Amino acid sequence: MLAAGRSQAMHFHARAGEKVRNAVLQRALQKAKPLFVGKRAKGIASLAEDGLDFEMLRSTGKNIRNRNLADLDVWLDIFEERATATGAEVLWARDGAEVSRLVVDIARRHGVSKAVKSKSMLSEEAHLNEALAAAGIRPVETDLGEYIVQLAGETPSHIIAPAVHKTIGEIEALFATEHGRPLETRTSADIPAMAQEARAVLRQHFLSAEIGISGANFLIAETGSAALVTNEGNGRMVTTLPKVHVVITGIEKVVPTLEDFATLMRLLPRSATGQSISNYVSLLTGTKREGDHDGPEKTVFILVDNGRANLLGSDYQDMLRCIRCGACMNHCPVYFSLGGHAYGWVYPGPMGSVLTPLYTGIENALDLPHASTGCNQCGAVCPVDIPLPALMHRLREEQNERGLRPWSERLALKAWAWVAGRPALYRWFARRAARYLNWLADGSGRIRIFGLAPEWTAGRDLPVSSGRTFHELYSARKKP
Amino acid sequence: MRLALYVTCLVDLMRPSVGFAALRLLEATGAEVVVPEGQTCCGQPAWSAGNRPLAVALAKKAMAELEAYDAVVIPSGSCADQIRNVYPQLFADDPHWAGRARVLAERTHELTSFLADVMKSDFAAPDFAGSVTYHDACKGLRGLGIKHQPRELLLKVRGLSLKEMPDCEECCGFGGAFSVKFGEVSTQIVDRKCDAIAAAGADAVVGGDLGCLINIEGRMRRRGNETTRVLHIAEVLAGGGEG
Repeated sequence: MLAAGRSQAMHFHARAGEKVRNAVLQRALQKAKPLFVGKRAKGIASLAEDGLDFEMLRSTGKNIRNRNLADLDVWLDIFEERATATGAEVLWARDGAEVSRLVVDIARRHGVSKAVKSKSMLSEEAHLNEALAAAGIRPVETDLGEYIVQLAGETPSHIIAPAVHKTIGEIEALFATEHGRPLETRTSADIPAMAQEARAVLRQHFLSAEIGISGANFLIAETGSAALVTNEGNGRMVTTLPKVHVVITGIEKVVPTLEDFATLMRLLPRSATGQSISNYVSLLTGTKREGDHDGPEKTVFILVDNGRANLLGSDYQDMLRCIRCGACMNHCPVYFSLGGHAYGWVYPGPMGSVLTPLYTGIENALDLPHASTGCNQCGAVCPVDIPLPALMHRLREEQNERGLRPWSERLALKAWAWVAGRPALYRWFARRAARYLNWLADGSGRIRIFGLAPEWTAGRDLPVSSGRTFHELYSARKKP
Repeated sequence: MRLALYVTCLVDLMRPSVGFAALRLLEATGAEVVVPEGQTCCGQPAWSAGNRPLAVALAKKAMAELEAYDAVVIPSGSCADQIRNVYPQLFADDPHWAGRARVLAERTHELTSFLADVMKSDFAAPDFAGSVTYHDACKGLRGLGIKHQPRELLLKVRGLSLKEMPDCEECCGFGGAFSVKFGEVSTQIVDRKCDAIAAAGADAVVGGDLGCLINIEGRMRRRGNETTRVLHIAEVLAGGGEG
């Protein structure tokens, strides 16, 4: 598991505390959440205008993705054959390191010194930017959020809004330093002006980069195309201006037909941003043809495994249906208390809590499957009906099966179950516990400091009853 | 009709009045209500922690105690969800238990859905002077589809007005062991729930799951709010008092 070396997922608990106490981050998150939730709700409600029902549509989407996965090898073969026929090259990468190696090779072969990138989370899995920089090639992120994150020397904290953890003020300060227009000359929170500024910088890069690197939302087997769903238009620049275009994508992204893609497109933008369709939907096929004004002279697809194939036929196969819309994190109370960086690897929120242990090793991300209240707000909004809480639960089970849970927890559960299996003993313990809690509350009806659950009483009182259990009072009542 | 009332460990230990309120509500339906002697814990904590063998053992014990009744009623969406949705999964591959788990699941009901959907009972609602806001607990809402039932029942209470809070379907951050394992995150989440409750401006917050209520009340009091009451819906519907 090469990915594990860079994962910080083991430090989730400690990081969670830091993030909760970070007032600036909390401001950014509290502002973003209602926007995400509200937009999606509107987007889903608007399906009715097209005579569509979300539940029906999502079950169709789920079936399409299940069919893709059931014969994934077949669709990949067909994709490879069709893409090759259009003049593109198709390469395969087992892991992130191989992705980086292949891209650096391609870049070297074409003698490039700068790469423009359109958002690709897989390139984060591969640590591609570091590999490019080490090879003397400058990677420039061109998605506005991703550009901001790169300037700040950070990683994306969200899969569709990479800089959602930053406040406008922080971005202003960053731009003031990086773009050489000092703060005192700026109108505060002038977002259009800030976007213009970034655009001016990026335009130069678009025109001078010799290689464009993008992800793909889907690969379409029947046409050998990559489908790109974007709102800023940078994706179009990256994939058409440079003479070389490299598409990096997971093997699970292939769908059989354009029709399947069209159906999934009814779900993806609505779930992500509430839009019925994104500003740009690009279907990229082959290379620049005779008479074309633009387009790459060379197109290379790199199809990546990096742990995905292991999930096929496993208890976790449902996770491969994911279409990376971000709805699960946008509706997750845990995600919005922390932001994405607490999760310690590329993918945050509920989908990350499933993917990170699976791609970097269950033993390297013990907290993540437990970092859920079980509320299932994620499962309820997932456009392809992935049972995220059930998958997290399966990971918890696997931790137990492999003896990875702390002994104190195992012992406590065993003791609890042992007592709960013996009603008379249970009654006796419960009575003692009720007395003890009441004594700790000292007649006030609440405990302010509780040594057995310090994380509870750090922020909350513990309300308790009068020191008698229900069963005790009930038996007393039954006796004449 | 013979009903079993399953009171849940939290009610037993932390708030017996909820158990007695549920008992009164069920007795008022005219059914014969039994509190099965040996009941302890449905096994949800073990299940949530990912410990299948312990969850299975406790589930078998609960099933043996509960399957003799026409219906099992639980004043908690999360324990009802455990029996209705998890037990059948637990025994899906066990021919001896699978059928029994399915039958018990069908007969098991969360209290408000039992009163509103099954009994469609018109009970003599008590008086309640004041306004309440309702918190939809996650397992009941998303696991069992409990949404309109508690509201229908509350509106039968004389003198009670319902003031919906913003985002009433948002999780309160309790999540069982989560609230202790990730206390700071849990507190952060319940803080927002407390803000929503404050925005509703009701005299009391009402819910169907004691876990959420203990979490909400604990945070509210720590924040210095001593006046907003935190009540289980059974307590509101049955009128206060114990025994």
